[in-house]
Parts: sequence; structure tokens; C-alpha cells
Amino acid sequence: MVPEGIVAFLEILLFPGFLFFIALAFFYEWVDRKFFAKLQNRYGPLYTGPSGLLQPFADFIKLLSKEDITPKAADKFMFSCAPIFMLSFPLLALFLVPVTGLTAPISFEGDLIFLMFLFTLIAVTIFIAGWSSVNRFSTVGGVRAAFQMLGYEIPMTLVMVGPAIAARTLSISQIVGWQSHNAAWFIWLQPIGFAIFVLCLLAELEFIPFDIPEAETEIVAGWSTEFSGRKLALIRLGKDVELVLAASLITSLFLGGPNSSLSILAIGFFLLKTTLAVVLLTTLRALFARFRVDQMIGGAWKYLLPLAILQVILVQLGLGR
Amino acid sequence: MSYPTIRIPFGPQHPFHIEPEYFMFEVDGERVVGVKPRIGYVHRGIEKALEDRTFIQNLYLIERICGICSHAHTTCYTQAIEEILGAEIPPRARFIRTIIAELERIHNHYLWLGLAAHEIGFDTLFMYSWRDREIVMDLLELVSGNRVHYAMNTIGGVRRDITPEIVEKIRKGLDALEERMRYYKKIAMTEPTISKRTAGIGILKPKDAIALCAVGPTLRASGIKRDVRADDPYIAYDEIPFNVITYDGCDVISRLFVRCDEVFESVNIIRYAMHHLPEGKIRIKVPKRVPEGEAVSRVEAPRGELIHYAKTNGTTKPERYKARSPTLGNIPSLCKMLVGGYIADIPIVIAGIDPCFSCTDRMAFVNVNNNKQWILSGEELRRYAIKWYRKE
Amino acid sequence: MVRELLKHLLKRPATLKYPFEKKPPFKGFRGRPIWDMKLCTGCELCYKVCPSEAIEMIGKGLEAEFKHHLDRCLFCGQCEEVCPVNAITMTEEYELASYDRAGMIIEFKREEKASEKPIPIR
Repeated sequence: MVPEGIVAFLEILLFPGFLFFIALAFFYEWVDRKFFAKLQNRYGPLYTGPSGLLQPFADFIKLLSKEDITPKAADKFMFSCAPIFMLSFPLLALFLVPVTGLTAPISFEGDLIFLMFLFTLIAVTIFIAGWSSVNRFSTVGGVRAAFQMLGYEIPMTLVMVGPAIAARTLSISQIVGWQSHNAAWFIWLQPIGFAIFVLCLLAELEFIPFDIPEAETEIVAGWSTEFSGRKLALIRLGKDVELVLAASLITSLFLGGPNSSLSILAIGFFLLKTTLAVVLLTTLRALFARFRVDQMIGGAWKYLLPLAILQVILVQLGLGR
Repeated sequence: MSYPTIRIPFGPQHPFHIEPEYFMFEVDGERVVGVKPRIGYVHRGIEKALEDRTFIQNLYLIERICGICSHAHTTCYTQAIEEILGAEIPPRARFIRTIIAELERIHNHYLWLGLAAHEIGFDTLFMYSWRDREIVMDLLELVSGNRVHYAMNTIGGVRRDITPEIVEKIRKGLDALEERMRYYKKIAMTEPTISKRTAGIGILKPKDAIALCAVGPTLRASGIKRDVRADDPYIAYDEIPFNVITYDGCDVISRLFVRCDEVFESVNIIRYAMHHLPEGKIRIKVPKRVPEGEAVSRVEAPRGELIHYAKTNGTTKPERYKARSPTLGNIPSLCKMLVGGYIADIPIVIAGIDPCFSCTDRMAFVNVNNNKQWILSGEELRRYAIKWYRKE
Repeated sequence: MVRELLKHLLKRPATLKYPFEKKPPFKGFRGRPIWDMKLCTGCELCYKVCPSEAIEMIGKGLEAEFKHHLDRCLFCGQCEEVCPVNAITMTEEYELASYDRAGMIIEFKREEKASEKPIPIR
């Protein structure tokens, strides 16, 4: 008999653990790039692996082999820690999301709030990454990321709370359980909340129209300008894992998550729904131009926040349970 | 109380620049409060090189001042030399030159549309417009044998003829181009993210535009009706009816609309020219030695007014040549437009004047030596040039 | 805009998978020039007119031979235009890359068959 500790350890390492999520991150980056390219009438990655599937992995390996330069004036400790945090926070958050059934590997009452906290930490990490690489472009990028967080944080928190109120629980696994138990998905029970959530996720992931902190044409690469080699590889992987996190959150909170407790079916549903979420995010990415940071914050406080409050009021009034 | 302003350098290498130039911005938060441009990074010594080569060889050197306005440069050059020679090129050659010039204008405006979309982060429009640009590049390859650097002009006419089959293909291509541009103009008018990034940005009031000697679509988007094709007709523009497009918005989106409408006008000009293409020779023979004389010729390049000055002394090589490109005329207006805006607006405002720094960089060196009051933006530019020179 | 985006899901991408798919250049495309040594009289007109000194002549008159520097050539077609016996033709070859300078010099010698040194394909 394999001791339970070893099983749990293997689960965390392999499935549904680090290896699974990292593989999923590469896969979703491929889906994103390929779909983005198709919308723009071109191929995406084409030659590495069948239909370019291995391209994100190849990019990762290439970056690992490049020279890793730390600027002389940079704050060495924070500069080295930032990529590690960029990768570990989303990975940690992913354990809160149910994949192989109706409960996640880590679930406790209030893990939704823990998740929101992790999102904030990610934004703070981006700011620290920009600040500690002492470079004008990084500073502006980091400051912009902090600005952007001011814009999307509150509407996102409010609409995440919508399903929580309806399901009377603050645990993501229980929200998923509620949706599958009542055969009702929050996407049609709380459509306003869904729309706002997707928009705020675009801002959090730094996708167009909200890729302001990383605007290539304005400030080189924004907050990640000075990172190269292994650190850049970790940052890019962290961004991809964030994409997985965002897509799986959309799935769990609004699309019903893995709809059954059977392992295989659950994983299949999970993958299908998260892929659809990624496709949705990519389509929005292809559709718009980039906003300016003041327009983004103005828009967030003038439009997103009132709508989010409206959504919560509607839920309290019974519409959306 | 003055805040310490952060200085942000743009260039010479920057992902958004297609060509190197250096702008030092003084920013206060996100607002730009000062800008100091420094040009000269693409100075290639072309004007000196022109003095060492014969007139025919210079055709190809002049063409390579810029990759996109190459035909405008050679038209200007051949016009100047033909004026000194007193040669009158055949009417068919004039019409063919017009057709190529307008095709180049369409090419340039499609390219600009893609770049401007890229500056505001709208990659989809960038990919679409550059895909449609392939249509006009194929047409140019069909007519001239190359996708850029068409080498159609020669002193005394054009080198290649346009056959009826080519005319047919150009007609079909023009229909496609016009339809696509209508679609892009509709997007520009209705898409809210585009208008949020370009409307009201980069304002250049009409009296500033005239005082700072802006040229091209930058000037016409401030409501001033100035176009060398109408004011001082050259090649076949006195025989082809067309409109000078102006808009009153004075901002980047007006410049976008001016360029979209200019594409429609170009399509109409080409159709008229092909319909009325006169028969006859396409070139005349000119002597190798050009008599002594000097000439100034002006041409409306896709980016604005282009001026060349040629001085000959009876040998087979020019004595002195000077090319003043439109981007140089727009730089003082650019500085005026940038101050007071946001950092995020810098790329789109700079892209709005359609900068071509390869065309530009011949000014700083020569101006100080000659101390000539150059007819456009003389004072401003002389000051910059002197400051630049003193820093070295 | 959304409709246009979604239309593209069904369209074939506009990219050509070069080098597996190639678009042939149009007739009259200015590619690599070749000399027909049977017609050449060695008048040196092409050598004098070339803007970038890409043509090197060895010998004089009817025994002249050519070295054409592809890395200097502008493909302007001035040599074709100026040759009085039409010995120069601009072909439509555009895949002219090579790994070293030696591969960029094409020699045109006078032999019975007026053959040329082929471009080394990699």
C-alpha cells in the first residue's frame, strides 16, 4: 500500500499539480497564439511539433539557455525574487481550483478571499519587479501596473463575490458544487457579473486592451524590460500559468467547473471549458486597440464599478440564485 | 515650485521606431512637459556622394534616400535636371510617372495605417492592412519589376511602358484597394478604442501649422489647403482633375482621415490617367553633359512637400545637390504637438506625421556650414543644428 | 469588426509557407542579370554605367570577361538598358543568398559554349 503522504506528494508534483499546470500553461499559450493568428489571417506557430504545439516549450527552453544579466544598480534580492514569485503565486492559486472532481486539492471556507489576496500579491510583485530593476521604462511600467490594479481590483472582487453570495459559501469548490447540484451556471444567472469579470481578467492578465504596463511600442517591455535568460523564462511561464488560472476561474465560478465527480469526465469538462474561456479572452484581445492608463482607470471607476455594485444588489434581491 | 521631472529617452533604438532618432522627453508623471529632438542618426553622406557620380548613376542613389517615397525622390531629381536641360518629356511619360506616383501614395498610406494601428496596440488592423498592401506591391512589381525602388524614372522620361494587360490588372487591383480602404475608414470612424486613442491627441492649430511650416497630411489635417500637386502642378497633375483633401480636426484622427481620403483620390487619379493615357514615346534622348545652371523642383511626396535643388556646371556630374524631405519640415510641428500630452500618446503622435527619418537626415550637417536661411522652419532648425553641432 | 474577425476563422491564412510554397515573380521582374558572352563586344558601357561598381571586367574588347558582384548589384537594370547588342538579360532569379563572399561573385567567361559558373546552392 502506498502511504497517503507519497500519493499526496505525487499529486502535487504531477497531477493535478505542478507538471500538469505547467503543461497546461504551454498548451494554452499555444491555443492563444494560434487563435490570435487565425483571426488575423495568418498562421501562428507552425513548424515546431505538430502544428506548432511545442513552440511555447521551445521558447521556454531557449530562454533558459540565454545569458542572465542583472543590472548593476538593481536591487539584487528583489530582482531575483520577483520572477520566482510571479511563477509561484499563480501556481499556488491553481490548487484552489477543482480539476479532477468537485473539490480542489486545497479547499477551505474562505479560499475565495485567499485567491483575491493572491491576485493582489501578483500585482504587487509586478510593481516590485518594475521598481527593483532601476530603469526608466521599468519604473513607468511598474507604476502603470499599480495604477491598473487600482482600476480593476474592486470590480473584480465584487463580481467574484456574486456567485459566493448566491451559493452561500466562500469556497470555490463549494461554488462549483452548488452549480453542478442545481444544474445552473452563473453565466446566465449573473451575466453582468460574467462580462465584468472577463474584462477585469483582461486587465489582470495584461491583455490588450489593457496591456498598458507592458506596452511594447511605448516603453519597450514595460516592467519586464531588464529581465533576461532564466528570470525572463520564469516570468513568461508565470504569465502563462496566470492565463490558466484566469481561464479556470472563469470555468469554476461561472461555467460550472468540472461538472461531475467522475475523474475522467471531470477533467474532460474542465479542459473543454477552460479552452473555451481562453478562446474568448483571445478574441477580445484581437478586437480592440490599447487604452491609455487614465482612460482605463476612468472607465473602470465610471462604468465597471457601478455595474458590479448593481450586480451584487441584484443577487441580494434574489435575481441570480 | 518645480517638480523634478523625469527624463525619458526615446531612441535611437526603440521597439517602436522603424528608424533611429532621438527624442529626450521631460515628463512629469505621465505628462510630457518638454521635448528635445536630435536627428542625424541616418546621415549617410548622400549629398556628397551625389557629386561623385554621373547623372544616370545618381538616379539610383537618389532613389535609395527612402524606400517608400523612392519614386517621389527620382521624380523630383529628373524634373530638376530636365529643367536645367530644357528638355520636355513626352506626354505618355508624364502620365506614367503620375500613375506610379499615385500607386506609391496608396502604398505609403496603407503602410502608415498598419503602423499607426500597431502604435496604438491594434495588432489586428496592422495585420489586415499590411495584407492588403500586398495587392499594391504586386501591382508595382508588375509595372516596374520590383516591389520597392521602382526605378521607373530616367532623365527624359520613363524606362518601362504600361501595356493594356497591365492596365487591366491595375484596374482590378484598384477596385480591391478602394473597397478595403472604405472598410478601414469605417472602422476608424466607428471603433471606440481607436477614436479614444487618436481623437483630440496631438493638436496642431492652423496658425501654428503655418508658422512652423508643416507639410503634407499634417498640414491638411489642420484645415489648410496646401498641396504641391494643386499649387504648382508637375508631371500630369495639370491635366487630371482631383480634390485636395482637408479636415478641420487638427488631431491624429483627422490625419488618418486625410490619408484615407487621399487613397480614394489617388485611385480616381489613376483611373483617369489610365483612361486618358496618350500614345507616343516614353522617353527622349538627353545629352550626357548637362549645361551649367541650377534648378529647384518640388513634388508632393506621400508624406508632404519634397524639395530638391540641383546645381550643375557643364560636366557629367552635378556640382551640388540638396534634398529637403517632408519629415524635416514636420519636426518643429511635432515638438509643438508632443508637449502637453501623455507619454502614452507619444508613439501615435510621432507616427501621425508619418516620419521617415531616412529621408530626413541630411539637414543638420549642412545648415551650419552654409548658414543658409532654409525656406522652411529656418530659424528653429538652425538653432537645433547649431546646438547639436556644439555638443559634439 | 467582430464579423470580419470571425469570417477569418474560415478563410485560409494569407501567409505563404515559404520555402514550401513560393509565389513566382511576374514577367519583367528585375532579378539577376546574365551576360551572353557570344554577343558581347567588350564595349565597357555596362561597366561604366553601373551605379555601384558591381561589374568587373577582365581583359578588353572581344576577349573581355566579367565578374559580377551580386553583393553590390542594385538590380536596377541600367546595364541591360545600355548594352548596344542586348547581351545582358535580367532573369527572374531572386534566391541569391550564399554563406560567403565567394558565392556572391558570378563569373562570365568566354568559352565555346559561353557557360557561366553556377550559383552554389547551399
